[in-house]
Amino acid sequence: MKSKIVRLLLVFCFLPLFASGEVFKIATISPDGLGWMSKFRVGLERIEAETNKRVTFKIYPGGVQGDDATVLRKMRIRQLNGGVFAAGSLTRFFPDLQVYNLPLQFRSYEEVDFVRARMDSYISDGLQKAGIKTFAFTETGFAYLLANEPVSSLADLRKLKAWIPDNDPIAAELIKSFDVSPIPLNITDVLPALQTGMINAVVGPPSVILALQWHNHLTHLMNLPLVYIYSMLAMDMKVYSKASSTDQDTVVKILDEVFELVGRETRSDNERALQALKKIGITFVEPTDKAEWQTAADLSVQKLMRSGEISGEVVNTYLELLKNFRSIESN
Amino acid sequence: MLFSLLLPGCSNLFSGITAQLADGLSESIMSSSDIETVREGIPAFLLLIDGLLESGAKTPELLVSAADINGSFSVLVEDKDRLKILSAKAMRYSDQAACVAKSKLCRARELTFPEYQTVVANLSSKDLLVAYSLGTSWVGRLQANSDDWAVISELNRAKLLMERVVELDETYQDGRAHLYLGGIETLLPKLMGGRPAKGKAHFERAIEIEERFLLSKVIYAEQYARLVFDQKLHDRLLEEVLSADPVAGRFTLTNQIARKRATVLLESSKDYF
Repeated sequence: MKSKIVRLLLVFCFLPLFASGEVFKIATISPDGLGWMSKFRVGLERIEAETNKRVTFKIYPGGVQGDDATVLRKMRIRQLNGGVFAAGSLTRFFPDLQVYNLPLQFRSYEEVDFVRARMDSYISDGLQKAGIKTFAFTETGFAYLLANEPVSSLADLRKLKAWIPDNDPIAAELIKSFDVSPIPLNITDVLPALQTGMINAVVGPPSVILALQWHNHLTHLMNLPLVYIYSMLAMDMKVYSKASSTDQDTVVKILDEVFELVGRETRSDNERALQALKKIGITFVEPTDKAEWQTAADLSVQKLMRSGEISGEVVNTYLELLKNFRSIESN
Repeated sequence: MLFSLLLPGCSNLFSGITAQLADGLSESIMSSSDIETVREGIPAFLLLIDGLLESGAKTPELLVSAADINGSFSVLVEDKDRLKILSAKAMRYSDQAACVAKSKLCRARELTFPEYQTVVANLSSKDLLVAYSLGTSWVGRLQANSDDWAVISELNRAKLLMERVVELDETYQDGRAHLYLGGIETLLPKLMGGRPAKGKAHFERAIEIEERFLLSKVIYAEQYARLVFDQKLHDRLLEEVLSADPVAGRFTLTNQIARKRATVLLESSKDYF
């Protein structure tokens, strides 16, 4: 199958360049070998075929075009036309997209599904008005706190040397809400910092903890999903609009399908990773007083709203939906 | 957050290390130019070596050979379930070899990470045979079980072992520990926590130690050059593979496999870059 595709592509290479076609240049920090990238590429091949090559994509994987901020800068000067971003990187286009990242609000995947089915379009419309075209959002998952000692209370947490990624406003906000002084580091420095004891706690989705081998230096996981993380393919609307509306429909249909599938697979991947952490001996600790954590998190949400970093309206809609879901569930 | 989209399909993390490196096959198999004959003939060889071991002659050398041949055969196998069986068998033989050789590595996989680190740090050159065998079987296990997070969690243990092999004797088995380390360091780009520059240094050292082993250049191109988007390096390495004489004693069979892979990679170069 693969060689067939390669042969097909080689044939295409010799076709005259379709002067009227759009070549969208997309960057991502993911390496090419990851499963979602293979699905993405297959989707792009389908788009090329179904639009008779009027729409084609050029992918720059592995972070070769730089991090999210650099890719956004390159999009501004039209060196690139889009990228796969962590939602947080697009905050300045539409601050309300942070609503899903509010700490300790989502408590289960069922809640996520209920709310997202009703609010995703609000976020994608907001971004589109700001000139950013997005497709189905992709779940990165719930991030958990892992440390090399048991953590069940806020007092335990405040004793830790906790890492946050540098240039990550969502992580910074999360950790601030619990009154913790974090240690910002580049992701590549986390493993050495864990090895030397410079940090002794991290927050991340289970599959990231395992893939980056941080678990070898951590012993406990606090069994409370702290924050929900998601990402998306985002393109410069002006460039995207150059494709005909029929071709745009094809692109949306195929890419939504791809990213919805990727999201579902990520969820089960994260579930398996969480079980693997247990299996390899990480101790799962329940928070002693969930209300204490919730109060701190709720306070930070109020603070965010007051500061104007997110609109009160979107937070209220979001909290109302959660309330509705919980009342349906309890009945 | 930088985590984004690392997750979907992390299960495929290891698919990029081109294939289990062929180690320790008997001289005649390794010197063969005929991949298909070897593919058809090896199962009989596997049965033979299993039989030899069952008859009681369990020496570290024989166990290591059994591990190597089970692991090496995976390069010619596409069925995922069969790969899992072969890699599990290779791992079992390597584990047994460590115990029969009375190495500190016997049952070391069951230790906690800090305990394991201490064991590995205290290995000496007399442990090289079993350390390298365990390291290669482990990489095979990781590749065959890349959908199992509990197995992926063992990656740094295998890496630690290969790093120790390099410290003890970097030229052991024609410097192939460098090649494994190059593959491991280039699984992820720098922005996601990988260390491609370190991987590059390992690849180059592996090639310096044994240039006739052409698979090194293929893995270097596929893992590193594609990761950092260096088409010039990618194409140069692969063209060197295709223009080199594949017949080179015990490297011949692997070189034939390397040439096949180089052709596929070179054909898709224009499309990828």
